[in-house]
Amino acid sequence: MKQRYVLRVNGRGMEAAAEAHESLLDVLRENLRLTGSKKGCNEAECGSCTVLLDGRPVVSCLVLVPDAADRDVVTIEALATDGVPHPIQRQMVEQGGVQCGYCTPGMIMSAYALLLDNPDPTDDEIRFAISGNICRCTGYGKIVKAVRAAAVEMKGQAGNGGAAS
Amino acid sequence: MSEDPSTETAEETRGAYSWIGKNVTKPDALEKALGATEYVGDMVVPGMLHGKILWADTPHAVIKRIDTEEAARVPGVHAVLTAADVPGSNRFGLAVLDQCALAEERVRSVGDAVALVAAEDEEAAEEAVAKIRVHKEHLRPILTYADALDPDAPKIHDGGNVFQHTTVRKGDLDKGIRESAAIVENAYHTHRMDHVPMEPEAGLAYVDPSGVLNILVGTQYPYRDRRQIAPALGLPMNKVRVIQAPIGGGFGRKDDITAEIHVGLLALKTRRPVRLVYTREESLVANTKRHPMAMNFRTGAGADGRLTFLDGDIYGDTGAGVSLGAYVIKKAGIHATGPYDVPNIRVDTYTLYTNNLTSGAMRGFGVMQAAVAHESQMDQLAHKLGMSPLEFRLKNCLKPGLASSTGQLMNEGCGIEATLRRIKDYMSARDLRFKRPEAAS
Repeated sequence: MKQRYVLRVNGRGMEAAAEAHESLLDVLRENLRLTGSKKGCNEAECGSCTVLLDGRPVVSCLVLVPDAADRDVVTIEALATDGVPHPIQRQMVEQGGVQCGYCTPGMIMSAYALLLDNPDPTDDEIRFAISGNICRCTGYGKIVKAVRAAAVEMKGQAGNGGAAS
Repeated sequence: MSEDPSTETAEETRGAYSWIGKNVTKPDALEKALGATEYVGDMVVPGMLHGKILWADTPHAVIKRIDTEEAARVPGVHAVLTAADVPGSNRFGLAVLDQCALAEERVRSVGDAVALVAAEDEEAAEEAVAKIRVHKEHLRPILTYADALDPDAPKIHDGGNVFQHTTVRKGDLDKGIRESAAIVENAYHTHRMDHVPMEPEAGLAYVDPSGVLNILVGTQYPYRDRRQIAPALGLPMNKVRVIQAPIGGGFGRKDDITAEIHVGLLALKTRRPVRLVYTREESLVANTKRHPMAMNFRTGAGADGRLTFLDGDIYGDTGAGVSLGAYVIKKAGIHATGPYDVPNIRVDTYTLYTNNLTSGAMRGFGVMQAAVAHESQMDQLAHKLGMSPLEFRLKNCLKPGLASSTGQLMNEGCGIEATLRRIKDYMSARDLRFKRPEAAS
């Protein structure tokens, strides 16, 4: 039986009618039409559906809707501000970290969660942070490079009066 | 560049139009990084139904009867279709038309589709699929190379289980054997492999007001798709339009038909837009894989460290359909010598039908499988001759002026020697050594 759930997605309160066994991913994609989070496996293997739940990266295919109610959900759609891409998004483009693009939103969300916690990560820390995100195109090298470049850029912005988004 | 294009030099023209050496940003990369790109599975159109497939789930069987009445009664179901509902040839395939869009009297692989459902939502479609009853009589499945080569085994297709035999012949094999100081002989097996593109297969189809069947699909080859879809569904070519959607990885498998014919048939029959999205499990079970191969190689070299001959057989398991297997397996034979100069060659390849999953194109297209065998042979021969594996390769690699196994003369673009020398410099600068394989001792 469907119930109404109140979710805080990207800073806005949203309502969704869903069954208790439905995943946060399905509700984001089907009910709220936020399709930036991708469904690659639906069993927490690929990381394409990664979102932030109360600031922590989670695979949204494995979060049941009731467990996401009244908590903060951040999806890829919220990263750009006023049409300006987030530094991770821009560096993924500039460093060639995007090919087919299907893993890209989840990959960026994992990197975003890392940089929130650790603004100056080592390459090993970057690799660990994205180790739950599978990419079949790039071989990961350019993605690591993009995250590193974004970290440097964000530190520069923070030094210039905290303009980092 | 000169102001006046008519005075532009050839070099300037080449510089202006060549992308080589330049950093180019992919035009669609930003949209993808923003999460704004709509792949087929992200698309929703008004009135859209959801398609679902009933897979054979058994490798080899005769279909006696399919009961769809109960499935059709599930609320929200608009169509339950079997091969009898297909208005065209129901056949597709890239080398030959040996695959059925929906299984007819025979199931040849667990990845064969048997029936289709279109319903208001995915849950209703799933429920209906579960209620279709397929009455089958199981046949002995052909699963191994030996079974496929057995002339008395059941035939998967009318022409027999050996679809193709190709040969590569060069020089005088006996002479090569006589001149050998070292010979190694080994059997190599490579496994079936899924491309696992991050986007599972998906299609969205609708019939537009002019009667054209439009199919959105993340495909590698829309025109070749159309050439297969139209006759399979009994439509003239100008009544089918394949629209290239963003493709979330293909690596060869989306060269073949995936969701196109199924979703197209559902749209034709229901006159509603239909979207069909595979689960990951379906993606693993259906559609093409990398060919498993069995390779028996005997390779020789003289006391001077020069290769003398290759004597080999390659068996490729193409599964229940050829797809591009005939070309992939033939290519493995052509590349069996790798990037090395071998004067005397006998290589035979066999493309075999089995009741395993259909194999087709995947990055490397047969060359990767052959490399497992020829590079292992190179290491073992070097060990037997007491040579460094790197020096042994440098001595035998193709150079401008030499010819490949099929007589293609090497000229420009033959980079193996330069590559090996770079590796040598890199390794000597760091005092690195190759480890010798244990198996050869």
